[in-house]
Amino acid sequence: MVFMRHYEVMVILDPSLDERTIAPSLDTFLNVIRTTGGNVEKVEVWGKRRLSFEINKNPEGIYAVLDLISTPDAVKELDRQLGLQETVLRTKVIRREPAKAAKVAARIAAKASAKAAKKA
Amino acid sequence: MSRVPKVERAPKRRVNLLRKEGITDVDWKDATLLRKFISDRGKIRSRRVTGLTPQQQRQVATAIKNAREMALLPYPSQGR
Repeated sequence: MVFMRHYEVMVILDPSLDERTIAPSLDTFLNVIRTTGGNVEKVEVWGKRRLSFEINKNPEGIYAVLDLISTPDAVKELDRQLGLQETVLRTKVIRREPAKAAKVAARIAAKASAKAAKKA
Repeated sequence: MSRVPKVERAPKRRVNLLRKEGITDVDWKDATLLRKFISDRGKIRSRRVTGLTPQQQRQVATAIKNAREMALLPYPSQGR
């Protein structure tokens, strides 16, 4: 059993791209994850957003966030391949702590139910 | 013997834990939230101003720095 971890990859893409083509083209990159036994949990395309500062003279960028469960090496390779792409302005890989996130979600749910109980 | 009259300073309670809004873990992607913790210059607000606990302040600070790298938040504007 290979060691699996949760990752969150954020990508900023060139704003001149067509937003509809982004999900499929990102998917081709994600094959690296899948072939190494990883799992793609979520692909979220935020769409075009203003950047706080210009990156490669672009005032805007298309944001996409990927949630993955994968081996460290596969993510590294994905990041490398994305970085080589000229349409990719920037990438960021962050480790997620699934246990912590679940705990937070549970706490929020508990709070919400408590509030609902109070209201009733 | 003259005593300088002590200036009574009403302890202005800082916004005290904006955080009590139920957020226990800061998400670095939540730019609208993080924007509340930076000055209009783009600098991270000090703990004295934010009233956060040390742990929270650290979380917020790293979240802001991550968000900056992805151009979600500005870097402190240069010059003066």
